[in-house]
Amino acid sequence: MNAKVIGITVLLAALCVFMMIMTYDSATGDIAFAKAGNIENLLRRTAMYGILGIGVALVIISSGIDLSIGSVVCLSGCLLAIFLSVTYTPFEGEPIAQVRGADKTIVLKGDVALFKPGDRIRYWGGRRAGNAVVNVTAVKPGVSSDGGVVTEITVDQALSGDDTYGQVAKVYAVTGATDTDATVTIRGAHADLAARDQITLAHPKSGLRQLTITGVTVDSDSTTLTVNEKPGGVTNEWVATLLERNQYMSIPLALLSVLGIAIGLGLIHGLLITKMKMQPFVVTLCGLLIYRGLSREIAKDQPVGFYNEFTDTLSPLATGKVTLWTAADGTSFGIPYPFFIMAFLMIAAMVFLNRTIWGRYLLALGRNEQAARYSGINTDRVVIVAYVICTALAGAGGMLFALDANSISPSSFGNFFELYAIAAAVLGGCSLRGGEGTIIGVVIGTAVMQVLYTLTVMLKISDRLEYTIIGAVLLLGVLADEVFKRLAAKRRAVLQARAAQPE
Amino acid sequence: MTDTAPLLQVCKVCKSFPGVRALHEIDLTLHRSEVLALIGENGAGKSTLMKILAGVQPPDTGEIRVDGQPVEIRTVNDALDAGIALIHQELNLADNLTVGANIYLGREPRRLGLIDTKRMNRDARDVLRRVGLDVDPATPLSQLSIGRQQLVEIAKALSINARVLIMDEPTSSLSAHETETLFDVVKDLRNKGVSVIYISHRLGEVKELADRVTVMRDGENAGDLDHAQIDHDAMVRLMVGRDISQFYARQQHPIGDTLLEVRGLATPTWPGHRLSFKVHRGEIVGVAGLVGAGRTEMLRTLFGIDRRLTGEVLIDGQPVEITSPIEAIEHGLALVPEDRKQHGLVVDMSVRHNVGLAGLHRNARTGGMLNQAQEDHDTAEMIGKLNIKTPGPDQVAKFLSGGNQQKVVIGKWLALSPRLLLLDEPTRGIDVGAKEEIYKLMERLAEQGMAVLFVSSELEEVMGMSDRVIVMHEGAITGELMRDELSEEAVMQLATGRQKSPAA
Repeated sequence: MNAKVIGITVLLAALCVFMMIMTYDSATGDIAFAKAGNIENLLRRTAMYGILGIGVALVIISSGIDLSIGSVVCLSGCLLAIFLSVTYTPFEGEPIAQVRGADKTIVLKGDVALFKPGDRIRYWGGRRAGNAVVNVTAVKPGVSSDGGVVTEITVDQALSGDDTYGQVAKVYAVTGATDTDATVTIRGAHADLAARDQITLAHPKSGLRQLTITGVTVDSDSTTLTVNEKPGGVTNEWVATLLERNQYMSIPLALLSVLGIAIGLGLIHGLLITKMKMQPFVVTLCGLLIYRGLSREIAKDQPVGFYNEFTDTLSPLATGKVTLWTAADGTSFGIPYPFFIMAFLMIAAMVFLNRTIWGRYLLALGRNEQAARYSGINTDRVVIVAYVICTALAGAGGMLFALDANSISPSSFGNFFELYAIAAAVLGGCSLRGGEGTIIGVVIGTAVMQVLYTLTVMLKISDRLEYTIIGAVLLLGVLADEVFKRLAAKRRAVLQARAAQPE
Repeated sequence: MTDTAPLLQVCKVCKSFPGVRALHEIDLTLHRSEVLALIGENGAGKSTLMKILAGVQPPDTGEIRVDGQPVEIRTVNDALDAGIALIHQELNLADNLTVGANIYLGREPRRLGLIDTKRMNRDARDVLRRVGLDVDPATPLSQLSIGRQQLVEIAKALSINARVLIMDEPTSSLSAHETETLFDVVKDLRNKGVSVIYISHRLGEVKELADRVTVMRDGENAGDLDHAQIDHDAMVRLMVGRDISQFYARQQHPIGDTLLEVRGLATPTWPGHRLSFKVHRGEIVGVAGLVGAGRTEMLRTLFGIDRRLTGEVLIDGQPVEITSPIEAIEHGLALVPEDRKQHGLVVDMSVRHNVGLAGLHRNARTGGMLNQAQEDHDTAEMIGKLNIKTPGPDQVAKFLSGGNQQKVVIGKWLALSPRLLLLDEPTRGIDVGAKEEIYKLMERLAEQGMAVLFVSSELEEVMGMSDRVIVMHEGAITGELMRDELSEEAVMQLATGRQKSPAA
């Protein structure tokens, strides 16, 4: 094994032992550092940062650099949240154009044939007018002040104010509700309802309850819905509005789209660097700025997230684990899923770097691009591949970070991640001169950085010093490497001189 | 007593680098007001000796005496204190600064902590006059020709009262006129008491300029020649160490049909000239010419590194489109480039990985997986066949000697069994033994039917090895000479631009 990998592994082991000693509590015999939760956390963080490190390691081996990783992480996270954004729109409902409360009139835009006299409807979402359940008495076409066609609905009760916000939808009488198996039965056969849609249960005077449907049974003139919590206290006086769940993209499409965009960005970086002969530092620095700004723009600078929409589907990819054992007190230890993803990518990257001709090309051109070109290697293509892999992994990592955090704010999410990744790669034995580095070294380097982070937290060192500690360890690591290298060179020179000395 | 001692004396100096014994018990004597020419083949150790004298590298053992007194030269400043200044082959000047600023770089006269430009330029004008250079010291250096920049460097050395000037290949990039000016300056300085160690490959210059000649070969003293003894053959005999005809032992063997035909090729460096020539199977064709004649550019264009502007390249009579080295390799071409460390090798990679580099794609298994067995096999074969002296296939290439590095580059190509081998200065910077092996290899490959096209600036090598010589001058082919037409004079005539008279 490579001396640098041994060095960094020893450093990791020493840090872990140090942490175990420092967090040993003689009163209880506990070692806080070795607690299942902490180890899981370390593995998860190492995995997610490790994915970024593997990508940037390939770029560094090509003697390039990618400063845009943090921003690509942010953009990917924001895009995933937006691509997977979920909205609930009412079945048989319409947004309103205007509410004239005292006139008992609701105005809808266009010619709407949805409502007839005798229908019960619910109005909600107003800013000045309150929610209400009312009966339609008349529907007639009209003309708005700007000449457009509108539909005016007259209802049997005055609404509590005038408004231009809100929507109306038909309501259905609740004919039964049970708490034992959490069902609600409503009037009408609603065959287009499906699990994960929602119903809003409303009492004309008092209550309002939002429930998620888990099952649907349709009869001739009624529909029985199983819901996610006990309806509790819902009587026949309540009515139901039906809301359809709309997800902007399917999960596979969203994942592939984000990955595709990340790959596209890497392709642009690679083309600018190889075909336009621009410096990697400059190209990816511009990327860092551009993608950060784009993220903030597409998210309107507001936090975006996944709420509870994917807790059973996609989120466990980042938050879940394969449980290995469960203790008597119910706590368990397992390997987090991201660790498996990282391990897979690590092995793939190791095979790529050490067992394929592409990896060998990368090592050769990273050290001497000219010699590689003179040897008939399409150096441009290999460099482009390195940048594409780097941003693709940044995109994948970004999605995992976003799912793990669940809610992200585009102005700060992923800040400095490129520097974490570069630092881990350098600590793990990559030389910024190119042509040098191992994938396993980078992953161990990432683990060292994460243990250092834990160190600042667990030893109650001010987190203001976190960067200082990481920077100092990185500096010492590279310094030690340089010292060892010089000692080895000196020893070799002495041996050579001795061998060359004529007898 | 010190009056009779030589100005500079080098006694039994040794120096080794990883894998190479660069200098072994070298002696050298330089008297006052003398121009001593130091000659030897590439790799003979001249540059290493000069770097030791200039304090760039310390010697391993041995002694240096100035005025009979032993001096310790460990750094450049030690050398300057001893009055020794090196004028580098590649000029060591900053072309973004003015002439005056270059002369006083690091020793700027100061007033109140700021550079006293006025005094600096006044002083600079004085030393520039001593080298016969009439330029304003405030001129940016970049506006001066290479020849004049060299004079600035000499002026810089004089400004520190150097008594020994070491000039390493000073005329290699000078025009004829600039060379003459330089010679006048050197002679003038000698008459004024400065001594010069003059390193050159150009034996004609040595004969004109030198008072005495010291010859080095393979890091050792090969002999000295006094003024009266200096003649061309004597120098060559000492440099090569044997009779030349023996060294370039060519056997005659049949030459096959045309492999490569070039019709009206234009290179980006010399877009105004069209190159046309043929190379046959089993033929060794030498390309002679002065530095900068466009020979390297021609090879680079053939190999698809530089863009071909116009013209046709035919292989086996078929027109081929070569726009990248990848395509050149597919058509059976191979190029051993001039700059071994920049273009030929990845010096930080092992012998094995360097030998395997060009064949990775061809040998790859499915899915682009490396074929390590093939790489091992090729490496072992090339180490044996080319007699590459390495501790093993995993030795890092930078620790090999120049000759063995060159063999690794050649091995990389032979593993692909090319049909046309392009060699650019194949023996530059390698020792005599390795040179001979490379000549024998070229001979053997040609015998097996490979076509060899090689560029060389060493006239003896071109004349000794070629079946036919193409001579270039300023981007154009000025003539072709068959083996029986070859003479140093005929080649030099064409290399300096005189067209070959139409065959009578």
